[in-house]
Amino acid sequence: MGAVTVAGLVADKPVHSQDWASLKESFRNIQSVKAEFLQERHLQILKEPLVSEGRFFYLASGSLRWEYLSPLQSVMLQKGDSVRLYHFSEGAWKQDMAQGVEARRMVLAEMSQWLQGRFEESRIFSYSYSQGPPGRILLTPGEGINRFILSIEIVLSDRPGVIDRVEITEPGGSATRIAFRNVEINASFLSKLFDEP
Amino acid sequence: MNFKRKLKTGLFTVLMLCAGCLSIPETVLRPGAPEDLESCAALFPSGPWECVHKIEAVIQEGGMSFSLLGITKGDPADRKLHTVLLTPEGFILFEAEQIEDTILVLKAVAPFNSTAFSRGLMEDVSLLFLPPQEGPSKWGRSADGAILCQWESPDGSRREISLSTVWKISLRDRHGDLVKEALLKAPFVKGLASQTELRAYKPAPYRLKLTLLSGTP
Repeated sequence: MGAVTVAGLVADKPVHSQDWASLKESFRNIQSVKAEFLQERHLQILKEPLVSEGRFFYLASGSLRWEYLSPLQSVMLQKGDSVRLYHFSEGAWKQDMAQGVEARRMVLAEMSQWLQGRFEESRIFSYSYSQGPPGRILLTPGEGINRFILSIEIVLSDRPGVIDRVEITEPGGSATRIAFRNVEINASFLSKLFDEP
Repeated sequence: MNFKRKLKTGLFTVLMLCAGCLSIPETVLRPGAPEDLESCAALFPSGPWECVHKIEAVIQEGGMSFSLLGITKGDPADRKLHTVLLTPEGFILFEAEQIEDTILVLKAVAPFNSTAFSRGLMEDVSLLFLPPQEGPSKWGRSADGAILCQWESPDGSRREISLSTVWKISLRDRHGDLVKEALLKAPFVKGLASQTELRAYKPAPYRLKLTLLSGTP
C-alpha cells in the first residue's frame, strides 16, 4: 500500500518507532505534498464500501486542493482562510451550494494541520501518540463533534513521518478509511491549482 | 385605448391561468395484453435491493446545483425504503427510512432538514423504486401503440407508466396537472435503470439526473 511521505527529505530509512520530538521535526521539513488517495466509506446500509478515488496538492504556506476524481468529480480549494467547493456536472465546473460546507471546511482545516504535524493546535480534537510500530496518532473529538465522529486515527508507515492511512470512526458503526499512494514531496506545482477547479 | 389594452392583458392573464388549471384530456386506451401490465410492473425491482447513484441536481435552472451520492435500499414486499444522501467526501447530509407512508428522518443537515424536503425526497424515491401496491385503475395501449398503466389514489392523484420509445413514470395531481415525471433509460442493471432523469414541476421545480453506480438484488 502507498503512503504519504510527509518527511521524505529528512530520512528515507525505515524506522520501527519514532519519538514525538523527531516526528515533529520530520513534519517541519515539508513544503509541499502531492498524492493520490483511495477512500473507502463503510456504511451500515451497504454490504460493500463506497470507494472513491482522488488526489491532493498541499502547500505548507496554507493552500490545499482536495479533489475527487470518481465516482463524483468534485474539488475543495483552500487558500488561507478561504474555502471554495465545486462539482463537475453537465460538462462544466459549478460552485457548490451550502450543503455541508461548514463540516467540509472544518475537515479541510484539520487536514492542513495534520500535514504539518500540528496535531496539538486543533480546537476540535485532543491527541495522543503511540510510537508503535506502526506509529499512531489518535484524535479524539470534544463534546458536540462526538455526535458525528468518535475518533480519527492517523497510522504512520515504517518510514519516518509518513502517513500510511487515516481511519475515521463514527457512531453507529460507520467508518471512513483513506489510504495514500504515489506521493511526491516538495515538488513544485502551479499556484492556479488552488484558484481554479 | 388604455382600457382596451388593460382588458386584453386581463383576458390574456385569465386565459393563461385557466390553461394552467386545465386537466389533460383522458387518453383513450385499447385493451392491452396481460404482458403489457407485467411490462409496467417490470420497471421496478421486484425483491429486496440496494443501489448507489450519482445524483446531479438542478434546483434553479442556471442557478443552484449540486452533485451528491445517493444510497437507496428497498423492500417492496414490506413497502420499506432506506435512503442516504452523501457529499462526495462521504458526509451524510440526509438519512431517512420509510415504511408504508411513515417517514422517519434519522439524520438531516441544513438545508436538507425541512419536513418538505424529506417528504419530497421520499416521494421521489417511492415514485422511482416502489411498485404501486394495488392493481391499476386502467391499463392498455394508446393509439400510437404505447403501453399505458395508471393507478389512481384515494386523494385523486394518479401515477402513470408509459412505455413506448421512452419509459416514463409520471405523477399527476387530482386536477390532472403533471407534478413529477421520470424518464428511465436502458440498460437495466439488476432491475434498475442505468440513467434516470426526474423533473419536478409542482410545488417547486427541480431536476435530478441519476446515474446508477452499483446495484445489488
